[in-house]
Amino acid sequence: MQWDIAAVPLNIDWQQILLHLLNFVILFAGLYLLLYKPVKAFMQKRKAHYEEMEKTATEKNAAADRAKTEYEGKLASADHEIEEKRAAAKKELDGYEQMRKNAAEEEADAILAEARKKAAEEKRHAIRSARREISALVSSATEKLVLKETAHEAYDQFLNVVEKKDGPDQEQSENEEPKT
Amino acid sequence: MTKKRTLVFLFIVAVIIAALVAGIVLTDGLYEKTGNVNETMQDAVLHEGDKINFFGLRVNPAVISGFVVTGILLVFAAAVRLFVIPKFTYVPNKFQLLLEQAVGMFEGLAKNNSPHRNGFLGAYLFAAGTYICVGTLFELIGIPWMTAAGASVTLPAPLADINGAIMMGCLSYIVILSGGILSNGLRGVGRTLKEFSLPISMSFRLFGALLSGLLVTELVYSYLALSFVLPVIVGVLFTILHALIQTYVLTMLTALFYGEVSEPPVLKPKKQKQKKVPSEVNPK
Repeated sequence: MQWDIAAVPLNIDWQQILLHLLNFVILFAGLYLLLYKPVKAFMQKRKAHYEEMEKTATEKNAAADRAKTEYEGKLASADHEIEEKRAAAKKELDGYEQMRKNAAEEEADAILAEARKKAAEEKRHAIRSARREISALVSSATEKLVLKETAHEAYDQFLNVVEKKDGPDQEQSENEEPKT
Repeated sequence: MTKKRTLVFLFIVAVIIAALVAGIVLTDGLYEKTGNVNETMQDAVLHEGDKINFFGLRVNPAVISGFVVTGILLVFAAAVRLFVIPKFTYVPNKFQLLLEQAVGMFEGLAKNNSPHRNGFLGAYLFAAGTYICVGTLFELIGIPWMTAAGASVTLPAPLADINGAIMMGCLSYIVILSGGILSNGLRGVGRTLKEFSLPISMSFRLFGALLSGLLVTELVYSYLALSFVLPVIVGVLFTILHALIQTYVLTMLTALFYGEVSEPPVLKPKKQKQKKVPSEVNPK
C-alpha cells in the first residue's frame, strides 16, 4: 500500500509550506539587511556615543573633585604656612627690636660714659685753670701786699678778691683734695 | 421629575419603540443567505475552489498574499534604508522613533527572555513579528486576484492558510531547536524535544486565531442585514486586535522557549565522599 503524501487532511500541502518558507526566508534576509541591522547599528552607535559622553563627564567630575580636594588641601596648608611665616616674622621682628634696643642702650651708655668723661675732663680743666688763676691772684696779692703800706689792708684786699673770683667752684674744691 | 422632563422621557421612549417596530417589520426580508454558508466556510479553510496559478503551480491564495506582503515590506525596507536611515539623528523624529521602537521591542524581547544567546533570535522575532502583523492587517486591503478557474478572489491574510501557519509554527520550533543545539548540544536537543507538541500548538494556534476572524467575517458578510455598520467592528477592529495579539503571542512564546533551551545547565556540586574515620577501639 502506497502512502499518498499529498493526501493530508485540512488541505495541508508540503509544496505550499515550502513556498511559504521560501517567502519568509526572503523576507527575513531582506528585513535583516535593510532594516534590522542598520537601525540596530545606529542605536548601538548612539548608545556608545552617550556612554562615551557619560564616561567623559564622569572623568571630568572626578578630575574636578580631585582638583577641589587638592586646592582645599593647598588652601589649608597655605593658611598654616602663612601662620608659620607670620610667627617667624614676628619672632624676627622681636629679635630685631631687641637688638635695636640693646644697641640703643649700648649707645646711650657710651654717650653717657663719654659725657661723664668729658665732664670730668672739663672739671679738671676748670680746677686747673682756677688754681692757675688763684696762684696768679695769690702772687699778685702778695705783690700788692708787699707794695701796700699795711699788711692788714693788703690781707683784706686779698680776701675780697678771692671771694669774688672763687665763689661757684668753692664747694667742689672743698670736696676734692688739692693735688699739690 | 418636572412635567417637562416627563414629557421628554415619554417622547424618547416612544421614538425608540417606533424605531424598533419599524426595524422588525422592514428587515423581515433581509435575513436571507446570499450563498451556502457551509460552502463558504469550507472554501475559507480548504481553498479547494479558489486555487491560483503561480508559475505553473496551483496554490492557495495565501501563498500569493505572502509574496505580496513580502514584496511590500521589502520595498518599504529598501526605501527606508535608502532615504530615511542615512538621515537618522541622535535626537529622533517620529518616524525614526517608530522604527527604533519596533527594532528595540523585538531585540528587548529576545534579550529579556534569552539572556545567554539572543543575536539571531532578535532578528528572527523582528521578521516573524513584522510578517504576522503586516500579513494580518493585509486582509483589510482586500486585494482582488484571479483564480485558476477565472473567478475573482480577495487575497486573505497569509497566515490564515493552514500551510502558512504550519510553516511559521514549525520554523519557530526549528529556531528554538537550533538555539538549544548551539548552546547546549545534545542537552539542548533533549530540552527542545521535550516540548514536542510546540510546533503543532504554535501552528494551529496561529491558524485558528486568524481563521476564526476570517470565518466570523464570512458569516457576517453572508447575511445582508449584518452587512451594515457591524463589519466596521468585526472587520477592522478584530483584525487589528488579531494582528497585535498573534504577533505578541508567537514572538513571546518563541523567545520564551528559546531562552529556556539555550540556558546553560546548572551543574550541581559534586558531593565529596567522606572518608570513614576508623572507629574507636571498642573496649569490649
